[in-house]
Amino acid sequence: MSDLTRRELLKAAGVAGAAAMLPSARPDLAEAQTTQKRELVVAQGGDIARFDPHFSTSSNEIRWTFNLFDNLVSRHPDGKLHPGLATEWKLTNPTTWTFKLRPGVKWHNGDPFTSADVKYSFERTWDPKAATRVNTVFTTVERVEAPDPMTVVFTTKKPDPLLAARAAFYGGQIVPKKYLETVGADQFNAKPIGTGPVRFASWTKDDRFVADANPDYFGGKPDFDRLIVRPIPETAARIAALLKGEVDMITQLSPDHAERVNTGNTRVVGALYAGLYVLAVNSKMPPLDNPLVKQALSLGIDREVIVKELWRGRGIVPNSQIAKGDNHYDASLPPLAYNPKEARERLKKSGYKGEEIVIETTSGYTANDKPMSEAIVAMWRDIGVNAKVEVLEYSVRAQKNRDKTFKGLWWSDPTSTLSDPDGMFWRLLAPGGPQDYWRHARFDELGEAARFSIDEKFRGQTYKEMTKIFLEHLPWIPVIQPYEDYGLQKHVEWTPNPNQQFEIRRFAFKFRRA
Amino acid sequence: MAPAGFTVMRAVATFFATRLARALVAVWLVSTVVFVVMRLSGDPVPLLLPPDAPRSEYARVAKELGTDRPLPVQYGVFLGNALRGDFGRSIHFREPAASVVVAYLPATAELGLTAFALALLVAVPIGVLSAVRRNSLVDQITMAIALVGQSAPTFFVGILLILVLSLKVGWLPTSGRGDWTNLVLPALTLGAFTMASIARLTRSALLEVLRADYVRTARAKGLRERVVVIKHALRNAAVPIVTITALQFGTLLGGAVVTETVFAWPGIGRLAIQSIYNRDYPVVQCVVFVSALLFIVINLTVELIYGVLDPRIRPR
Repeated sequence: MSDLTRRELLKAAGVAGAAAMLPSARPDLAEAQTTQKRELVVAQGGDIARFDPHFSTSSNEIRWTFNLFDNLVSRHPDGKLHPGLATEWKLTNPTTWTFKLRPGVKWHNGDPFTSADVKYSFERTWDPKAATRVNTVFTTVERVEAPDPMTVVFTTKKPDPLLAARAAFYGGQIVPKKYLETVGADQFNAKPIGTGPVRFASWTKDDRFVADANPDYFGGKPDFDRLIVRPIPETAARIAALLKGEVDMITQLSPDHAERVNTGNTRVVGALYAGLYVLAVNSKMPPLDNPLVKQALSLGIDREVIVKELWRGRGIVPNSQIAKGDNHYDASLPPLAYNPKEARERLKKSGYKGEEIVIETTSGYTANDKPMSEAIVAMWRDIGVNAKVEVLEYSVRAQKNRDKTFKGLWWSDPTSTLSDPDGMFWRLLAPGGPQDYWRHARFDELGEAARFSIDEKFRGQTYKEMTKIFLEHLPWIPVIQPYEDYGLQKHVEWTPNPNQQFEIRRFAFKFRRA
Repeated sequence: MAPAGFTVMRAVATFFATRLARALVAVWLVSTVVFVVMRLSGDPVPLLLPPDAPRSEYARVAKELGTDRPLPVQYGVFLGNALRGDFGRSIHFREPAASVVVAYLPATAELGLTAFALALLVAVPIGVLSAVRRNSLVDQITMAIALVGQSAPTFFVGILLILVLSLKVGWLPTSGRGDWTNLVLPALTLGAFTMASIARLTRSALLEVLRADYVRTARAKGLRERVVVIKHALRNAAVPIVTITALQFGTLLGGAVVTETVFAWPGIGRLAIQSIYNRDYPVVQCVVFVSALLFIVINLTVELIYGVLDPRIRPR
C-alpha cells in the first residue's frame, strides 16, 4: 500500500525541523485555492512499467490503465457498480449474464467499439498464447459470445453472483481487438489505445507519463487538457513537490505526514481502504494449530493503541474478516477486543509451554509493518508469549508466500477486489488458495456455497456463520482497516476510491476555478 | 631513432594489452559475482504474479523466463549472450535489457558529469586557496565545510537542499528532470562528497609540494607567487589529485543511486535499485556491466594522464 520506511520518516522529520526556521516561499493562500490550470500533475511512489492492462496488477499501473481504458462496469468511489462500456447487465438465467453495450463509443484512434472487442478482451486474459498476468480473474467464465455488435453474453461454469464486480476490476479493462491484432502486444504496450477519458501521449521511463484529455469521452471530457504523472519514490521529495505547488496531487501519503500537508494550500483526503491489514497465521505450525493460542494472541493486541499511536487515528479496528464497506459486513459485531487478563487465561487453558512465536515482517513494504510488529510482539510478551520479530526482504516474502513456508505469522493486506467477502478472505483462505494453512470442513462448505449462489440473502446468512467459525479459529488475526491517504492542492476537488483505483473522470475530479 | 621509437611503441602496446586483459577479467568477475548473488537472493517470479496465482502459473512464468533451468545452464546462456552484447529481455519492462539501460544512461551522464565538473571547479581553487593561506580564517572555514560535506550522508544533503533551496527559498524545483534548474540540486548533492574530498586532498598535496626545494628555488629566482603556486607547485601536486578524482568517479556512480532516488532523476542508479528489488536479473547485469566498463575506462584514461603530467611515470 505504501512504500515508506520509518527510517525515511525520521530523517525527513529531522531535516524538516531544521528548515522550519526559514521563511516560506509557498504561494499566497487565497490565490492558490482556485486555479486556471489546464494541466493536472500527479506524483506517485513508483514508476509505471507496463500500460497493457492485462499485464499488471500493481497499483502504480492500474491507476492509469483504469483511465486509459474502460471496463464494462465501473466501481465508483461510492462503492457501487455503475455503467461503463455496458449500459445495463442482467442475469438472464443462473449461469448467463447479458451485457448491453454503450453505442457510439470510439477507440482513441477512431475505430468503433463493438462486442467483438469485449469478447476478444476477456478471451485474451486466459489465452495461454497471450500469457497475461490476469489469467485467473475470470476462471468462472465458460464462454463469451457476441450475438450482435452491442450485446455480449457470458456463460459461467456455475452460477456466478459477482461477474459484474469481476468485470469492474483489474483484468476487466477492454482492449481494442483490431489495433492489438494489427500491431502486436509489444507495440500496443508502447502506444496503448483505449476508450478512456485520457489518451496516451508519451512515456519517459521513471520521468513522466503524459496523456491528453479525450474530448470525445462518453462520460464527458475530464476537467483538464493534459495529465502528467511523475514517479517520485521518496516520500519527503513527493511531499515537497506538493507543498511547493509543482504537483496537484500525491499518492501514498503516510499518516505521519498528514499534519504537514494539512496546512496552507494543501490538504489530505482519504478513503477507508477496501481491505484489511491482517496477521496471517500458519495454523499448521504448533502451537498455532491450537485455536485457544490464537484467541489469546488476538485478545492480547491493543488495537486502539496501534490505531492512535502508529496510524495517528487514520484507521479503524476491524470486527471480523470482512472489511467495512463490503457486502455482508455486519455492523452489529463489536470491534475485536483487547483483554490481556482473558488472553492469559486462554493461554493457560491451551497448555502453551513457551514455544517461540515469530512474526515475519517486511520493513516498509506495507505501511507501518515493522513498527506494528514490534508493538504487537511487546504486547504479546506482556501476556506471557515468547514472541519475536524477524525482518524479511520483500522478494523473500514473495517466495515464502509462493512456497507456503512462513514460520508463524506474517503481514497480509488483502484488497477486497470485488467489494465482497468472496474476493477478499475467500480468495485467499479457500482450499488451494495462497493462504491455505488451515482447513475446517463446515467453513469450506459454506465458502463454496456462497461463491456460487445468486441468492444474496442466503449468502448473507452463510457469511454470518463463517464469521463465527472464523472468530473461533482465527486463520487471520485482523489488526486494522486503515485509510488510504492522498495529498491535494486546495484547488483540486476529488473523491478517492477505496479500492485504489484513481478516478479522474468528471464525476470524481474537478479543478476549483476562480 | 627508429629502434628507440619502436621500443616506446612496444611498451605502449604492452601497457595497453595488460591493462585491457586485466579490465576484461575484472568485468567478467564482476558480472559473475552479480549473476550468482542475484540468483541466490531471490526469485523474480513471485514478484511478477498476483499473490493468489496458482502454482501452475509460477511454473509457467518460470519456464517463460528460463529461471527453471539449472544455474550452470543459466550462467552458460548468460555468458554466451553477453559476449554478443545481448543481456536478455528485462523481466519487468518486457523489452531488451540493453535498450532499457541505454535509455536511462543519458540522464546519469548529464548528472554525473555536471556533479563532477562542479566538484572540480569548486574544489581545486578552494584547496589551493586553503593551502596558500594555511591556517587563516578562510582555510579554517572552508575546511570545516569540506569536513561536513564529506561526512553528511547523501540522503540528508539531498533532502536538506530540497527543503531549504527549493521549498523555503523557492529558487529551484524540488525534483524531476527538465531544464538546467532541475539539475542544480541533484548535481550539488551528488558532487558534495567528491567536492569535499578533492578540496581536502588538493590542500594537503599542495602543502607538501610547497615545502619542496624546487619551490624554494623558484621563489629565490624571484618568480611571482602565482606562478610558483600554479606552474611549479600545483603541477607537481596534480598526480594524487588526478588519482583521487578518478577513484571518486566510482563514488559518484554509487552516490547516483541515492541521489537519483531522492530527486526522482531517471538515471541508471535508480534503475539499478528498482531492478534489484524486482529481481530483474538482465537489467541488473547490464547496469553493472556498463558501470564496471565505465569505471575501467576512466581509470585507464587516468593512467594515461599520469604520463602527461609526470614524465617519470611514462612507459619505457
